[in-house]
Amino acid sequence: MRDFDLYAHTEQVNELLARYGVKFGIYKNNEFREQLFPFDAIPRVIEKADFEYLERGLKQRVIALNLFIRDIYGEKKIVRDKVVPEEFIYASSGYLAQCEGVMPPRGVYTHIAGIDLVQAKDGGWYILEDNLRVPSGASYPVIARELCRRSSPKTFEDIGVEDNRNYAALLKWTMDYVNTGGHNVILTPGRYNAAYFEHSFLAEQTGAHLVSGRELTVEGDHLYFIDYSGRKERIGAVYRRISDEYLDPMNFNKESLIGIPHIYDIYRKGNVALLNAPGNGVADDKGIYYFVPKMIKYYLGEDAILNNAPTYLPFYKEDMDYVLEHFDRLVLKDVAEAGGYGVVFADKMTKREKEDFLVLLKNEPRRFIAQEVIDFRDIDIMEDGERVPRKADLRAFVLMGEEPVVWKSGLTRFSRNPDSFIVNSSQGGGFKDTWVLSR
Amino acid sequence: MGIISVEHTYRLYWLGRYSERVYTTAGLYAKSFDEMLDLHVDGYADFCRRLDIPNIYTSKEDFCRRYCFDGADENSIYSNLLRAYDNAVVLREEIGSEPLAYIQLAVYEMNKAKLSEAPLIELQRVTDNILAFWGITDDLIESENVRNIIKIGKRVERIDLLARLHMSREDLRREACRLIGRIDRTCLSYHKENLEEIGRLVEAEEIDYYRLVVAVETLLED
Repeated sequence: MRDFDLYAHTEQVNELLARYGVKFGIYKNNEFREQLFPFDAIPRVIEKADFEYLERGLKQRVIALNLFIRDIYGEKKIVRDKVVPEEFIYASSGYLAQCEGVMPPRGVYTHIAGIDLVQAKDGGWYILEDNLRVPSGASYPVIARELCRRSSPKTFEDIGVEDNRNYAALLKWTMDYVNTGGHNVILTPGRYNAAYFEHSFLAEQTGAHLVSGRELTVEGDHLYFIDYSGRKERIGAVYRRISDEYLDPMNFNKESLIGIPHIYDIYRKGNVALLNAPGNGVADDKGIYYFVPKMIKYYLGEDAILNNAPTYLPFYKEDMDYVLEHFDRLVLKDVAEAGGYGVVFADKMTKREKEDFLVLLKNEPRRFIAQEVIDFRDIDIMEDGERVPRKADLRAFVLMGEEPVVWKSGLTRFSRNPDSFIVNSSQGGGFKDTWVLSR
Repeated sequence: MGIISVEHTYRLYWLGRYSERVYTTAGLYAKSFDEMLDLHVDGYADFCRRLDIPNIYTSKEDFCRRYCFDGADENSIYSNLLRAYDNAVVLREEIGSEPLAYIQLAVYEMNKAKLSEAPLIELQRVTDNILAFWGITDDLIESENVRNIIKIGKRVERIDLLARLHMSREDLRREACRLIGRIDRTCLSYHKENLEEIGRLVEAEEIDYYRLVVAVETLLED
């Protein structure tokens, strides 16, 4: 690989990323700021055979998760058969009673799944988290690839990397598959959302219209976009980048000013597709994560191809005993948190913090999961002209049409802090492109 | 999808207006800055009066820094550029990433100029990027409606500024002619009587600049 060319132009690529507004927003001290997402040109490289293995495992997982959501809001066989305790369903903040009995267009719930994985030092892959609500991040490697191909064309001449610039086409395919008749739109909470760049970029790339809630209206059982002249255009699919609770003030949070009144009523009637389906949060809860291998076995009769990180549920006495005994070597996660928040490494706690945490854990065992700390395989980044190892994860994207399709790339996020496992952009992490080799 | 909302229509219009305001006031600022060096040391008071902005500046130096670069001064060139950016950034799928990038670049260049010891030289890059934005807008944006709304915003703003500065009839006539010839090629709803008045006013022997400003400011329907 002519990798020197690739790294030599990192600065220019980052300048171009700035030029195209590749940023994310954060709120700090009640002030909104847009920050650049630092890009490192050394890619994560996944061999063809390794990716084929990941692809099989990811498809299997997403099919099972889709079946799980359908079951939970339908017959609840998995609960009746005591594979998943009902406490973990109804106590989950992602469970929405309003979704009971509702079947989305073509039965698809998990249109766009972002599955977070890490590779251990022994080369094995572990699933860290399933994101089935509004996973973001696919646009970053797409635009980074475009710019790297410009800055280092020779690198790409003979390396045999799968082209990842088809993400928008895949997304459009997904939207078209469930579209109930009319235009596709991307619904954004607005430019002060952390992922606004991605919303606008994907709208441009897919040809969907980027809309805010006030530009859409429900009339006579259908959803319409109102243009400047008052003309109504029917909408058939909404890739919504707002949370369930803000989607419809008539059905969810009454205070929501960014949703569309009654959109959920017409969704219930099958007159518009919502991507991803409301209520998916019940399946990507960190507590439910523990049960995913069991649901794969239950619904598909197969063993999970991809492993979870070894996880314990203090909810079960046996697991609580284990957690208390091995506390210092575990990482504890609050199931209600996301974005790298609510994650604590026991060995980093002070004596006092540990005592307080154990009291909390015993009082609210359902609130936490505990995991063994996986020793990630480090990935090199360039820092001050030198290659240095850093922790990194991979967010793989699985898009669902008639069949699930795994996008041949992914977002690799890395920690810029050598002592940290937290890779989230909101906590100062950077990103890399993910190359899947085609031969 | 080839249709456009009322909100985006207004944002395109204001993108045109603010980009023009930045371009024209940056040029005026550079000229006044030069004159204030040795010709009209207190010329900034006159500058403010002519542009109808409050003279909140305490000295020539204060004006030179704050009018150009102070984000807290709502009349500054910087504030107007941020307003252009605020409109552009939510129009990516209407105007495209490439045109949007030039507004983004203008903001970066303004931030660099702010820190420079020779801000006037750096300011040139800001106006270069505004010009590039207009050029690429014309070249890349497929929708004639979208292109024309931006241009109408530009024309309205330019007539407004020229009228406030009591510029020559030739300048005003040229801009009014461009406005009148283009506005019906957009989806904008406007007051026809205002447009006719603009046409009449720029032809009058003695231009009533105040009425002209009012006519352009209230041209569009709410």
